[in-house]
Amino acid sequence: MLKQFGFLGVHAIIALSVPLLGIVAAWLLRPKKPYPLKKTTYECGMETIGDTWVQFKAQYYLFALIFVLFDVEAVFLFPWAVAYNKLTLFGLVEGILFVLILFAGLIYAWKRNALEWQ
Amino acid sequence: MITLDKLYLLSPEFILLIAAFLVLGIDIFGKRRWQKALPYWTIAGLLLSMVASFWLMGHKETVTDTMAADSFAYYFQLIGEMVVVLVTLALVDYLPGRTHQQGEFYALLLFAAIAIMVAVSATDLIMVYLGMEFLSITSYVLVGFLRNDKRANEAAIKYFLYGAVASAVMLYGMSLLYGLTGTTNLAAIAQKLTAGNLVSGYQWLLFPALLFLTVGFGYKSSLVPFHQWAPDVYDGAPTPVSAFLATASKGVGFALLIRVFVTALPAVKIDWVALLYALSVLTMTVGNFVALRQTSVKRMLAYSSVAQAGYIVIGLVAFNGKVPFTAFNGVSGVLFYLLAYAFTNAGAFIVVGAIEEHTGSTQMDDYNGLVKRSPFLAGVFLILLLSLAGVPATGGFMGKFMVFGAALAEQFYILALIAIINSVVAVGYYFKVIKAMFFVPGEGPAIAVAKPTRYALVITLAMTLLLGIFPSWFLHIATTSGLAMVGL
Amino acid sequence: MITQAIFIIVSLFTLVTALLVVRHPNLFSSALYLVASFFGVASLYVLLEADFLAVVQVMVYIGAISILIIFAIMLSKGMMGKHTSPHNQQDRWVALAGLLLAIILLYFLVALVQWPTTPVGPVPANAIQLLGQDLVGRFVMPFEIASVLLLAALIGAIAIAREREI
Repeated sequence: MLKQFGFLGVHAIIALSVPLLGIVAAWLLRPKKPYPLKKTTYECGMETIGDTWVQFKAQYYLFALIFVLFDVEAVFLFPWAVAYNKLTLFGLVEGILFVLILFAGLIYAWKRNALEWQ
Repeated sequence: MITLDKLYLLSPEFILLIAAFLVLGIDIFGKRRWQKALPYWTIAGLLLSMVASFWLMGHKETVTDTMAADSFAYYFQLIGEMVVVLVTLALVDYLPGRTHQQGEFYALLLFAAIAIMVAVSATDLIMVYLGMEFLSITSYVLVGFLRNDKRANEAAIKYFLYGAVASAVMLYGMSLLYGLTGTTNLAAIAQKLTAGNLVSGYQWLLFPALLFLTVGFGYKSSLVPFHQWAPDVYDGAPTPVSAFLATASKGVGFALLIRVFVTALPAVKIDWVALLYALSVLTMTVGNFVALRQTSVKRMLAYSSVAQAGYIVIGLVAFNGKVPFTAFNGVSGVLFYLLAYAFTNAGAFIVVGAIEEHTGSTQMDDYNGLVKRSPFLAGVFLILLLSLAGVPATGGFMGKFMVFGAALAEQFYILALIAIINSVVAVGYYFKVIKAMFFVPGEGPAIAVAKPTRYALVITLAMTLLLGIFPSWFLHIATTSGLAMVGL
Repeated sequence: MITQAIFIIVSLFTLVTALLVVRHPNLFSSALYLVASFFGVASLYVLLEADFLAVVQVMVYIGAISILIIFAIMLSKGMMGKHTSPHNQQDRWVALAGLLLAIILLYFLVALVQWPTTPVGPVPANAIQLLGQDLVGRFVMPFEIASVLLLAALIGAIAIAREREI
């Protein structure tokens, strides 16, 4: 099994090195003659107005929190789903109960407008 | 595996779960009139669950490998449910005007009660951790629930940071135990440890494991090196929540300390007795001497709850599971003490909360002449303080009697002596409040106490006196519940 | 042999990035180093042939918790961009105490305990399936209670983090 992950590692190294190679090659080959106009933002959008490091809305955080909780739920359900064919009826019901309890949480979040962008 | 036809043994938990869903449902979908009654729905659920817990006492069966249905668990469940009832009564007039999200508050309180019930029935390290964490998470939210209260926010963050570290350390200890024995089941761990054929040098592993577990449980029950969060949190949290943390939540720490050490680690009893001995002396002494110097009654109560934890640990230090089994086996003393302490301390916090509600202050000077402004509050507080100090004819006295008696029976004379000296020191600060209430003249408008709070106080007062004057029935229950623990 | 080398590289990577999380003056960079550190831990799980844990580590810690932490930094006033000092007056003592504790623990757990060095045997191919069966078998109560815990956490999170009360 470790061998299979080894392939994954090799793949990751190759995937990382391709863009790195490009950047390094460009850095080595480019002529270095900077002047102010050259340093301005170009191609992707406009110059920013004000500071880019601003305070964000707290609602992003709420979304992320809800996402974490349902992510953890998915982690629990994954092995349950893998074992699906081997489960007894009781096991099936337990899994459904698990989902239902968290579904109540979803209803709560919905009804409290926590999922709505304000 | 789980035995389905034994599932009724978990009915207290199921009842509370249904109650929590009901409260949430009413809060979201219900009519305005129903929403007004939310605290009473909560209390109804708790009372039903209490009936179930009480009814099921005396059973000793395993529903699953991970949860026990024994008297020990039901006993602690009853304490937890009772405290939450009192807290809910105190909240009825506390919450309106402070938050619009009352439904959430009551639901979270019910979830905290479920967490307590799960934790005290746990017979598996995974379950122990899950129960503790469940209780911690709901407690953090309850402490910080009032978002506009800066001190509550500070308390919540402090509680959370300490809790996160303590639970991580505890989890590390559990992983060491698991690595050593290859199982998370408490009884199986005990078997492995006594059966031998472990890795060589394993005794070096057990001590850090023991120490780290103690960090986790000691944090919940605020034993001294792990107590730093307690005064600030009890002081900053909404007062009914402080009452919950100082009694029910603290009880869980003790329940798990007993359950894990007695069932899983009898092989290293010498080690944990020595460790708890030291913690007990430290906790009593630090708690009491710092409490002496407080000028705020709420903070004084906070430090006094720390000191009380020190007395309670004595029972476990003096634990004796030998036959013939006596009431002075230590564990039964802890159980009785915690019952008396739950009512007394919850009541004391509720009194302080009721006074704070009117004067906006918890300073000792504002208690001057309280007897004229509210004879009811002064009278109740008097009895509760006497019980905390351990004056005869109160529940607190009987608790101390049982615990110190166990220490003497096991020949821990020095420990008993230190405890008695500490109790005398404690009388000093309890009487400072009594003196202020009754003998120092003070002026101020009369203090009206809301009806539900009044009921809660009457219950605590009645139970404190009942436990002190007619303790035999409660002693019997505490003893048999302790018996369930030692497996007799 | 190769595994040994990979282990040393990966654990060094994890430790160095973890140290940078604590020491970097820019909080935002700290969060990014945390992601790297989480990734190192995931690789350690892979080396232990605990592939499910590795996936969970990537999914929950890198995929969700790091995002949460980054959001938390972005919405805090004055945390973004500015250099916050990771120092305080006690950090020397804390470092000393931490080091001492680490040495004592290592001594206890590595030098004094003879851990069995024989391999336990290969991880069964259907490990995840066995885990799934245990979740609704032996550990059915923790499984169900975990869902109640998640529900309580959801309610608490929404009640506290909501911008306006109702």
